[in-house]
Amino acid sequence: MTIIEVRGLSYTYPHSSKPALRDVNLDIDPGEFILLTGPSGCGKTTFCRALNGLIPKFYSGEMKGTVKVAGLDTRENPIMRLAQCVGLIFQNPDNQIFALTVEKDIAFGLENLGVPKEQMLKEIDWATENTGIQALRQRATHELSGGQKQRLTIASILAMHPQIIVMDEPTAFLDPVGAERIFGVLGKLNEEYGITILLIEHRMDLASKYVDRIIVFDGGGVVSDGTPSDVFGDESIRLLGVGTPRVLELARRLKAKGLRLDKLPVSAGALYESLKPYISVTRSEPASDMSSLDSYAGEFHHKPVIQVKGVHFTYPGKVKALNGVDLTIHHGDFVAIMGENGAGKTTLVKHFNGLLRPQTGKVLVDDVDVSSTSVAELSRRVGLVFQNSDDQLFEETVEKEISFALRNFGFSEPVIGKRVEWALNLLDLGEYRDKSPFTLSGGERKRVALASVLAWDPDILVLDEPTVGQDYGQKERLRHFLKQLQTQGKTVVIVTHDVEFVAESQPRIVLMARGQVMGEGSAKEIMTCPEKLSECSVAQPEITRLFGMLSAHGLPRDVLDVNEAYDILVRHLKEVER
Amino acid sequence: MSLLESLRFTRGDTPIHNMDPRVKFLLTMVFFATSVMFLEIVPLAIVFVIQVPLVVYAKVTGEWLKSIRGASFIAAIIFVTNLASFYYFRGGVLTYGILEYSMALTLRFIVLVTSFSIFFLTTSPDKLSLALEKARIPYEFNFAFITAIRFVPVLADEAQTIMDAQRSRGLELDKGSFIARVRKYIPILLPLIINSIRRSLELAEAMESRAFGATEKRTNLYELRMTGFDYGVLAMIVLSIILLVYLKLYFPGFPKLLGEGVIL
Repeated sequence: MTIIEVRGLSYTYPHSSKPALRDVNLDIDPGEFILLTGPSGCGKTTFCRALNGLIPKFYSGEMKGTVKVAGLDTRENPIMRLAQCVGLIFQNPDNQIFALTVEKDIAFGLENLGVPKEQMLKEIDWATENTGIQALRQRATHELSGGQKQRLTIASILAMHPQIIVMDEPTAFLDPVGAERIFGVLGKLNEEYGITILLIEHRMDLASKYVDRIIVFDGGGVVSDGTPSDVFGDESIRLLGVGTPRVLELARRLKAKGLRLDKLPVSAGALYESLKPYISVTRSEPASDMSSLDSYAGEFHHKPVIQVKGVHFTYPGKVKALNGVDLTIHHGDFVAIMGENGAGKTTLVKHFNGLLRPQTGKVLVDDVDVSSTSVAELSRRVGLVFQNSDDQLFEETVEKEISFALRNFGFSEPVIGKRVEWALNLLDLGEYRDKSPFTLSGGERKRVALASVLAWDPDILVLDEPTVGQDYGQKERLRHFLKQLQTQGKTVVIVTHDVEFVAESQPRIVLMARGQVMGEGSAKEIMTCPEKLSECSVAQPEITRLFGMLSAHGLPRDVLDVNEAYDILVRHLKEVER
Repeated sequence: MSLLESLRFTRGDTPIHNMDPRVKFLLTMVFFATSVMFLEIVPLAIVFVIQVPLVVYAKVTGEWLKSIRGASFIAAIIFVTNLASFYYFRGGVLTYGILEYSMALTLRFIVLVTSFSIFFLTTSPDKLSLALEKARIPYEFNFAFITAIRFVPVLADEAQTIMDAQRSRGLELDKGSFIARVRKYIPILLPLIINSIRRSLELAEAMESRAFGATEKRTNLYELRMTGFDYGVLAMIVLSIILLVYLKLYFPGFPKLLGEGVIL
């Protein structure tokens, strides 16, 4: 019995010449937990919209083929009927919370269906319990944190008892621990109540631990469909620019090297179990710790460019955002600020260019106090790129967008022309020069926003959540780009939740929680302290988790990325063989 | 702005908060009617003396004081213009009568602000919407009302972020001539409007996904139920309306407190 049956589904959005979906055929059984993935613009979001009839009912446009959900043809049934079978949850929780209190929002769907009050109360109890938000029932919705809001959206859909839940990137804005909690909730709903779950997610390392089937979209069609190890074992899928879970990638390479693995594991624990028989059982002396040398190398500091001294900051009418932050960033540093949602990371970086002024304490940029300098003046030195590019794009063309800041800073026209040219080339945006920024895709808009800041060539570049909503290929490009900037002597600061991105680019890490700096050090130092990380709601990369287990066998503990892990394991396995 | 902000609902669990919104609205209307019906200082002062304990009882004193502070500028204008114009038109003579009259008009304004403060500070939009629903106002209108309130903080945050993003790109809002400054709001307004359009589309999708409009017979999680307290207040309201009408029709007039002596 299938719960979702898709036959020959093709769809083209109105005012578009290119089809968003081409000839999709899928069968999904009840109780499956499925990950939908693929590069940006591959049609996965469009596919989700087709599942509850938003396509073709809400979006006009041309649809071919049939979609049957729980036996209902989406073309013949109204969306409100389908909504009871398929709960669709969108990326931004703010845009799907309608009520002012938590319980009232959960009730919204039930009220629309005309469910009597007594039953509503029961459903609310059940939904809040299963999403772990019982304690928040009476709270105002706008006071919730990002993770709580996301759990509320699940509860609100859950209360309507759908057989299928479809989620579009639910964890994009969440810290790693918050993200795991969402997956925990989904896993439980799938296991206990047999709810079929379809999920779009870029956090491949985390997601692939929970799902039992992965469907890869590209160019509007399904290009691969199977278990995580089947899908990612396939060379052509990796070339698509879909991120492979790091542990699985490591296992695949080891297998290619001749290690006997019957199934490619996705979690650190599983790979450890498969590796165990092949590595030395006895605990040998730990290899001489080279990481201490790294930190010595880092002691040859350049001059400090940003100094934060005992800074406190409270937003009017709210809790304290910064509670005594001390931090020094040196010239040429590459720093990642990590920590839980609401730890004060964005508040901190807004002090770097004077958008916020410290209420107590001091922030110095190049030994100049930010409190006595204008934002415009500071911005010449410190370029701040915001998380959501839609919060800044407004011009008619990409070219004008990029020159906006240059005009504000009073550059002369010939210089502006040159700088725009340079920035367009740098971010590979030349072909979009005369296009409206609003017609570009999310990833491209993000690049335009970045180019519009880089154009004036600030010495210090601060990026808030640069990887959110970016697919693997785009992240890789960004990583190389940041490295390139760093080699040019720029100071780069990123605020991020993306543990894998950090593990691969290995910046210096500043950990924050509750408005304070909880720890600081090289990526290797910080990522090997699970206690400190969990205090700040940051998870260890899976590879580091694996080596945490392997360290009992004398292997080093501070391994972050796949390449290094592979080299070490291959060397070790050879030694053991001898 | 601060006057409006101070009218925002403050959560609480007092009898005033829990009062039926319809009864509370009627009470507000009685205050309103009294202050419009009478121009003498005595009845206005009586209303004020009744209102202040209500404010304290509802534990919104701080918020109320803020709204009074916000209103104080307008109150001062009312007082001064009345005083000055009467002084001028009565041939340059300032009497205690004019002073008392100006004070009464100012007090009337404060009483009006207070009655609205009490209502809006203690009535959750949810309850207000229920009351509207009971008044047979179509649900679509109600929904729009609640959604508008729900998105005020979201939009305020977004406006702040956009402003920060553009200032980081060298936009200086407080520099240049008046026209130049107005033009500088374009980079802030455009993203705000475009984001709002995008948001409305997403909201519509989410509404569809929550079966909006599935049945004519919508139910409601919250229900309005009149309590004994509400009936008590209602009885008092009826009595005071009778009293008001009697006073207006048959009472010869309230005494002037300050007399008619000449000050200047």
